[in-house]
Amino acid sequence: MRADLLNSILSDLNGSSADIEASAVISTDGLMMAAMLPANLDEDRVGAMGAAMLSLGDRTAQELARGQLEQVLIKGDNGYVLMTHAGDEAVVAVLAKPESRLGLIFLDVKRAAEAIAKTI
Amino acid sequence: MKEVDFDKLMSYARAFSRYTAEREAILVEASKDIMPRLAEVTDSFYATLQTIPEAQPFIEGRMDALKGTHHQWLQGVLKGPCDVNYTEAMYKVGAVHVKVNLPVEFMAGGTCLIQESFITLVTDIYADDPARVKSVLEALNAALGFSLMVMQESYQQSSLAEELEKFLAITGMSRTLFNNLAEAYKS
Repeated sequence: MRADLLNSILSDLNGSSADIEASAVISTDGLMMAAMLPANLDEDRVGAMGAAMLSLGDRTAQELARGQLEQVLIKGDNGYVLMTHAGDEAVVAVLAKPESRLGLIFLDVKRAAEAIAKTI
Repeated sequence: MKEVDFDKLMSYARAFSRYTAEREAILVEASKDIMPRLAEVTDSFYATLQTIPEAQPFIEGRMDALKGTHHQWLQGVLKGPCDVNYTEAMYKVGAVHVKVNLPVEFMAGGTCLIQESFITLVTDIYADDPARVKSVLEALNAALGFSLMVMQESYQQSSLAEELEKFLAITGMSRTLFNNLAEAYKS
């Protein structure tokens, strides 16, 4: 039931922008809760790495006096990875195309994170 | 720290150091002759340490207590038994050395000094029995090698555990997250 709801939220998120290529909901301990990922990505690795990056982002924001962490954004040649908390126990991660319009994606991800937090 | 199978560690260290039951018996037998002069080994050990600047911070103001512990340990080496309890005790010694930030080379260096003192002492005690000198020194070498190996195993594990604790504290990662991350990249 919960997995269905999470998958539905991810499906809506992926459909909200053509720039979004994949998304996932990960527990803060790094376990995959729901995912819409390309077949070539290992779910366990995406889960653990995503949660680890967000944890490090939390600590970096604290150490550098940037306040409460809102998101972690990574840019590579092939696009973006965006991670944000979805409540206290989950992380939502999104993979987006390199030419993505980030403002719109930020809004969509924020909405999705709020919905995920309510579901969990 | 991972769970330690002390039976397995004891067998492994015994095999490597060639500390056999026969050699253990040789030491027990020789302990009657060596014990009255055992303090010479401890005294020589700490006298040498005092000449090594890097060792000073670890012995200053604690000499009597350290000598007492050292002497007690050497009595155990001679009298045995070299069992699981002894293996566990040596393992804990290694962990304590990590806690006090003792450089890893101190254990191997210390063992060299102790072996050297025993060579002098045993050669003197059994001056008229070269075969006995050989067998007792072989047994001592094996017993000290066994102890060193167990301590170093513990030192390595404790060092890794301490480094991991620091890493987790710095990054804010939970141990569960770290374990999941390690598991995801296992293969």
